[in-house]
Amino acid sequence: MKSMHFLNQFFAGLGGEKAAKQPPLRLDGAVGPGRKLDMEISATVVCGDDYFGEKESEALGQLLQWVEDEKPDVLICGPAFAAGRYGYACGVLAREAVRRGVPAVCGMHEENPGVLASDGAAYIVPTGEGVSGMRDALSRMSDLARAVVEGRAESAPPGTYLPRGQRANVFVEKSGADRAIEMMLAKIAGDSYETEAKPPLERVPVPKALESVASVTLALVTEAGVVPKDNPDRLEQCRAKGWHSYDISGLDSLEPGSFESVHGGFDVHVANRDPNRLVPLDAVRALQREGRIGRVDGFLYSTTGNCTPAARSLKFGHEIAQRLTEIGVAAALVTGT
Amino acid sequence: MVVDRSGTSADSASSLEVASYRVADVRQATQMRLLKGRLEVNLEEVRELALSEPAVTEVQVSLVRPGESVRLANVLDAIEPCIKADSPETTFAGILGQLEPLGLGLTNRLADVAVVPLCDFRSTHDVDREMEAPIRWHSIIDMDGPGRPYTHWGSTTNVVLQFTCKSDDPLAECDRAIRRATAGVARLLASATIGAPADVTETFCWDAEAADLPGIAAIIQVGADEPLLDTYFYGSSLRDTVPFLIDPREVLDGALTAGAYEYSGVRNPTQFYQRNKLVLSLLRLHGSRIRFVGVIPTLAYVQSNFEKSRHAMIAARLAKSLGATGAIVASYGTGNAQTGTMLTCRACEAMGVKTTVIVSETNGGLIDHVPEADAVISVGNHEELVREWEPEATLGGRYYDVESNSPIESPGPLSLMGYFGSSSQMGDTCLRTVAV
Repeated sequence: MKSMHFLNQFFAGLGGEKAAKQPPLRLDGAVGPGRKLDMEISATVVCGDDYFGEKESEALGQLLQWVEDEKPDVLICGPAFAAGRYGYACGVLAREAVRRGVPAVCGMHEENPGVLASDGAAYIVPTGEGVSGMRDALSRMSDLARAVVEGRAESAPPGTYLPRGQRANVFVEKSGADRAIEMMLAKIAGDSYETEAKPPLERVPVPKALESVASVTLALVTEAGVVPKDNPDRLEQCRAKGWHSYDISGLDSLEPGSFESVHGGFDVHVANRDPNRLVPLDAVRALQREGRIGRVDGFLYSTTGNCTPAARSLKFGHEIAQRLTEIGVAAALVTGT
Repeated sequence: MVVDRSGTSADSASSLEVASYRVADVRQATQMRLLKGRLEVNLEEVRELALSEPAVTEVQVSLVRPGESVRLANVLDAIEPCIKADSPETTFAGILGQLEPLGLGLTNRLADVAVVPLCDFRSTHDVDREMEAPIRWHSIIDMDGPGRPYTHWGSTTNVVLQFTCKSDDPLAECDRAIRRATAGVARLLASATIGAPADVTETFCWDAEAADLPGIAAIIQVGADEPLLDTYFYGSSLRDTVPFLIDPREVLDGALTAGAYEYSGVRNPTQFYQRNKLVLSLLRLHGSRIRFVGVIPTLAYVQSNFEKSRHAMIAARLAKSLGATGAIVASYGTGNAQTGTMLTCRACEAMGVKTTVIVSETNGGLIDHVPEADAVISVGNHEELVREWEPEATLGGRYYDVESNSPIESPGPLSLMGYFGSSSQMGDTCLRTVAV
């Protein structure tokens, strides 16, 4: 088993805050805590906390290049404990390595921002907040790394790693039908039972209506899969992986031939004769001319809702809302199909 | 209520007797017969029967067994061989011949065997032009390799029929011919049981007794949109129907049959109706722990919020009027249908009918949910990938890209969606998802 380890400047022994601007560095073999990992480390990569935070794409590009050159069976990141900057770098690097086919095992405190940054891609051993748990964390990370490489991670006891927000298939003794009947009998009898799938949905309270949209900026948001003709970003027709923004400033309407819907959940032929019926830019412009709508944001924010899991849709919603908040949009017209 | 006994029933007019004949192996022979768990089949006779359909130009018959390095592609359906022992001409009534109520009398079935029709419709027809919503996804059975455990038919001996259809005939007529031929072969194989002693016989009664026990309904979504995306009851499409009541024994006896070839991992093959675990278990509990009030089919892909809500309301109302305390709501297909499932759950709960819901999940979990769905059975994540496998032989024709529907060399690693019946939402498999 060939492993690679990622450290920050502190754990690599290069220094504390003064060395935090350390650019990416590749070292042969194990370094610092890596020497206590119960496995062979072929190379160690290092990046300063501030360097990663300030120049993420450069840092990531170089680190991933070394990972791709090394082709390890597993990438080990951390443990970062409660260190936020190091944890974030661990989470991001692990996530990107997994997306390139290299499994990753991290160690950090469950509230470290790196947990969110890893986006469920990495296996993260939960640790305490401080370095006093180093020996125990390294031992558990070593065990989990072996389980990951040998394909045994999914059957590890609960708590071995933090929930990744993923749904794995397992075979059980009883059929779905018999489980459904048992759960029904328990529900009727008032006995306790545990549902097998919980909603990932967030209940959104209806916000208070704006007094007027004449004095604010309105944005157009849609799940109708509306994109510029020929779909330059290859937005998925179902199970969208992301959302995109498209320049509509200076346009009076979404002209057929310039915009189209790639949504796979309905027959788009009729809608594509007039994309304004999916995103009513024409009507919004008319109201803007009448002075009933103030500014209109220069971009259309678009994704495909068709079969996109609720948890992922929720993430898109948060991301779009954050963007709109940052640029001072106070109202959004969200159209669906 | 279930009565175990051998021999014929004294009261076959009001009960269904299912006589099971276990088949350990199927062999080619000159004559059809069942001998000590070995089914001998004249494959030429099978081929001639299937070829008697005018819309069919060629049929290749193969026997494939668990453990063989074979992949079946473009799988349309799977039917368990069965025959109405006292009136063979009524087997698969409405599809093969004489219309008689099914679910009563004696039915002989061959256990651990399936008739599996394969057809690469795109080799003879412009499917995308002939259909309103062209069929999507691979439909695969692996007899070995990592994908084998995910489909029931990786563990049965399969009599595989590879059909080629007449390109001049409409797709709907070719499909009808294949469904008729497959049912005909299933009946022909089961005819070997006539006069032979069964391994086990089970009797299913469905009487009005047990009035003091909690009433349970099975609300089963089915897809019925157009030919190739259809479900049939006594041979006719369920298109444009509203939820209605079926005697559970009719489901087991071949009245409900599949003809929907999209999203193979999450649809219901005919054999999952014939040996429906939900119906079997509820019938077995009927009279002792519950009162099974019946099966209510409801359409899965109705195309507006109003229609989804209307079907949900009618299904719930029917369950309520049958005296149901609880309803098990089985989903079908993917997102569009699952919204209907959730609305049906909500409609039932609003009328005081408690629900459990059976659904398949995605990598991101549930596609839709209502707060009333607090008792959910998850039958798997159909987006999880199965390791790639190179079989020595593939039957069934070409592979097609899921997005473009153009021919491709290899499908690559497939998700469960591509494995036939792997995450069927009537609860026929033992798969579930867990959070990791």
